[in-house]
Amino acid sequence: MLFRMIRGVLFRQRGKMLLIAFTIALGASLATSMINVMLDVGDKVSQELKTYGANIVVRPRDSSLLSDIYAVEDGGQEIANAWLREDELGKLKTIFWAFNIVDFAPFNEAAVTLPDGSAVKAVGTWFNHHLDLPTGESLDAGVASLRSWWDIAEGAWIDEQSESAQEQIMAGLALAERAGLHVGDRLKLTGRSAEKTVTVAGIYDAGGAEDEQIYAPLDLVQYLTDTDGKVASIEVSALTTPDNDLARRAAQNPKALSSKDYETWYCTAYVSAVCYQITEVITGSVASAVRQLAESEGTILDKTQLLMILITALSLIGSALGISNLVTASVMERAQEIGLLKAIGAHDRAITRVFMTEILITALAGMVIGYFAGFGFAQLIGQSVFGSAIEMKGLVIPIVAVLITLVTVAGSMPAIRMVLRLDPAEVLHGSKA
Amino acid sequence: MTKRRMFLRMITASLLRRRSRMLVALLSIGIGATILSGLVTIYYDVPRQMGAQFRNYGANMIFVSADGTSLDAEKTAEALSLIPKEKILGATPYRYTSAQMVRNQLSFVAAGTDFEQVQATSPYFMVDGAYPSASRQVLLGKEVAKTIGAKLNSMVEISWKPSVTEASGDTELKPGAYLAGSAEGFNSALVYVTLKLGDDLSIAEMTVNADSQTAEFGGRCAEESFTKQFIGKLIPLTAGTDVDAMTGATVTSQAVVDAVNKARPTENAQAATGNSLSLQVTGILDTGGDEEQYIFLSLSDMEALTGEQDRFDVMELSVSASAEELEEYVSQITDKSGSVSARLVKRVTRSEAAVLTKLQSLVFLVTAVVLLLTMICVSTTMMAVVTERRKEIGLRKALGASDSSIRLEFLGEGIFLGALGGLLGSVLGFGFAQVVSVNVFGSSIQFQPLLLPLTVAVSMLIAALSCMLPIKRAVQIDPALVLKGE
Repeated sequence: MLFRMIRGVLFRQRGKMLLIAFTIALGASLATSMINVMLDVGDKVSQELKTYGANIVVRPRDSSLLSDIYAVEDGGQEIANAWLREDELGKLKTIFWAFNIVDFAPFNEAAVTLPDGSAVKAVGTWFNHHLDLPTGESLDAGVASLRSWWDIAEGAWIDEQSESAQEQIMAGLALAERAGLHVGDRLKLTGRSAEKTVTVAGIYDAGGAEDEQIYAPLDLVQYLTDTDGKVASIEVSALTTPDNDLARRAAQNPKALSSKDYETWYCTAYVSAVCYQITEVITGSVASAVRQLAESEGTILDKTQLLMILITALSLIGSALGISNLVTASVMERAQEIGLLKAIGAHDRAITRVFMTEILITALAGMVIGYFAGFGFAQLIGQSVFGSAIEMKGLVIPIVAVLITLVTVAGSMPAIRMVLRLDPAEVLHGSKA
Repeated sequence: MTKRRMFLRMITASLLRRRSRMLVALLSIGIGATILSGLVTIYYDVPRQMGAQFRNYGANMIFVSADGTSLDAEKTAEALSLIPKEKILGATPYRYTSAQMVRNQLSFVAAGTDFEQVQATSPYFMVDGAYPSASRQVLLGKEVAKTIGAKLNSMVEISWKPSVTEASGDTELKPGAYLAGSAEGFNSALVYVTLKLGDDLSIAEMTVNADSQTAEFGGRCAEESFTKQFIGKLIPLTAGTDVDAMTGATVTSQAVVDAVNKARPTENAQAATGNSLSLQVTGILDTGGDEEQYIFLSLSDMEALTGEQDRFDVMELSVSASAEELEEYVSQITDKSGSVSARLVKRVTRSEAAVLTKLQSLVFLVTAVVLLLTMICVSTTMMAVVTERRKEIGLRKALGASDSSIRLEFLGEGIFLGALGGLLGSVLGFGFAQVVSVNVFGSSIQFQPLLLPLTVAVSMLIAALSCMLPIKRAVQIDPALVLKGE
């Protein structure tokens, strides 16, 4: 009998039930898309903020000061006595947060002499270095992506996969103008221990001190200065979680943490934890966070996430009120029907059961449709804003289901109760409600 | 007149008597309007607020001297006035020089700056301790502190010597002028001299800095017994004839004479002699960048140290403006100010423009989706409320009301609800936007006066549109059928 009544309502009052299902679907799709976008926005924005370049710098433990300060005073003759090993670079992708390391490049600087006798700083680095990792993955890392704000004024980035890459350099715009360099020019570079004739592959406009420098493949600079396999610093771009109190305490001295705190810290992608793990795998290194990026990134991520949470909360409250409103209205509209059922002797509980079942079945249908519509909306936002899909978390399904069910019950129960309290005769007569 | 009064009475009666239903409709319109006005306010305010957050990345514009020398304070202030004042979050002058730690003779880059402005242009500086707030205080970079083993609140003494390169420019000697010069002495180490000229352009006062020479030989050239030979004589001098060499320090003696002959006018006494200051360490700076290898003094201490006033090497600016605006300021300054050259910090401006655009379009799309869904939600509720009243419509028709008068009345009711809900929503929405702004950005939001009529109009429109369909259907149906309930 219950089944027949429900089916009767679902089919005969199709219009009304469709309206309810439609509204619930709207609410569910809103909730689904907003929660998904909210949960993913941190990752997405963090990825965008990578355009600012590396947020971690790795230097040899003892030489950071010596090479930086005295290189100037000793006329460009490096006396850095400590180096990092180039063959260890792949290890960066083996740390606990390997997945969060999106890009990195080694650097080796040297003073070289141009044919006209002037001395310039040559920076040896990776451009788009192809790396096959022990894990079976492969990765292209280097300054072509780490220096995304550079404009290539002439020519193109050096392609390390090409045959002649080791005989190519890129020159800064200011240097090129001063020395009259153009793409395709050949010139002889004299380093501390060797010389080599190279071709200018590109001229870049960096808007900074780099405009006076030469960027060359790492091997070339190592050859010129006889520092094979040695690296002076590594810049790492990593996705990190904004620092909190724990991370700040840990940055001072990880050993001072309790073992539980240590574990939490080590297993969270705080910039200090990532730095610590890098120090663990690269021999004789000290990794430090570039505060300019790490701090600002944290603030912006926090703010964006909080903003999205509040907008999501507003839209959830909105859709919850919308749904419960409609459900209340639809129950009250059927006051006569309830009165009639009561008049022919139905129990309050039986009536409540029939009505609730009807509404919940409708809500379920609405939810399913709504979830998929919400999926669509989330992808629409992801694709058009970030150009990548929003990850749909499984967690969202139970959240939305519980939320919609609660809202539907909360919207219909009081209304049913209210109508039940009324005298059937009055209701049927139409003078009340 | 009576017709209008009847119309009003019917609407108010219907609103008052059917309180609960009308409340439902009003509530749903109110929610819609709240979301509309709240989100649109946020959408308009987000670029401004987020842009301010991006200023955490530090300076996005720098001023340097156009001709490669130092910046003049007056000219810099002129250039600064070309940028609207409210857009400038901070403008930090930096004067760089090389200074030595007296204790261990290690050289460091010393930067004189304005610490209040530093906190505005470089909010990411992490200071252990505090920024210097009084004179004779210093902020040490982390690497410097590590190298010299300085602790918070300890004292460090730094010394400064005039630059080794020969002073350029004005070589004409004037009475009372200070002159400074240097020359290579024993072991190619530099010897510095400072002179003050008398009225007849002869040497009136003279000090020698021969710290770099062996103390018991060349070092003695700094003693008065040697320097007094120079007093009252005119430049240039010849060693041997005008001045007798110090016994056992011929090389240094010659160097002092050379230095005197090469001496050039300088602006003041410090620039001639070099100077040293004893400073209290109030903070240690952690940035993860090159700044960790600098020491930071206040500009006044820097002036006390070097004697040079109102000159900077660089001015860092944090300007809260879009990329296009920044470009415009740069070209204005380049056009109007000859000696100051403004440059954009490309890394910051480029990246900011890229990320900010994304964030803005994110908020835009989210706003659009939420608004669309909410508005549909509102109209379904309105439809349900009106559909319910089909009987009433049937009854009125049966009593002889014309279709158009019924339509007008229901529409009037809907529009009235729309206006009321819109007003309510405007207030609530502004409240919500305010809560968001205070919580997220810690600053209050501006009220957009235009948004009030917009919200009310949209609410009225949606209410009217969603009433239209059910009314039309109800009106078309035969009253008898409607009343019968089919």
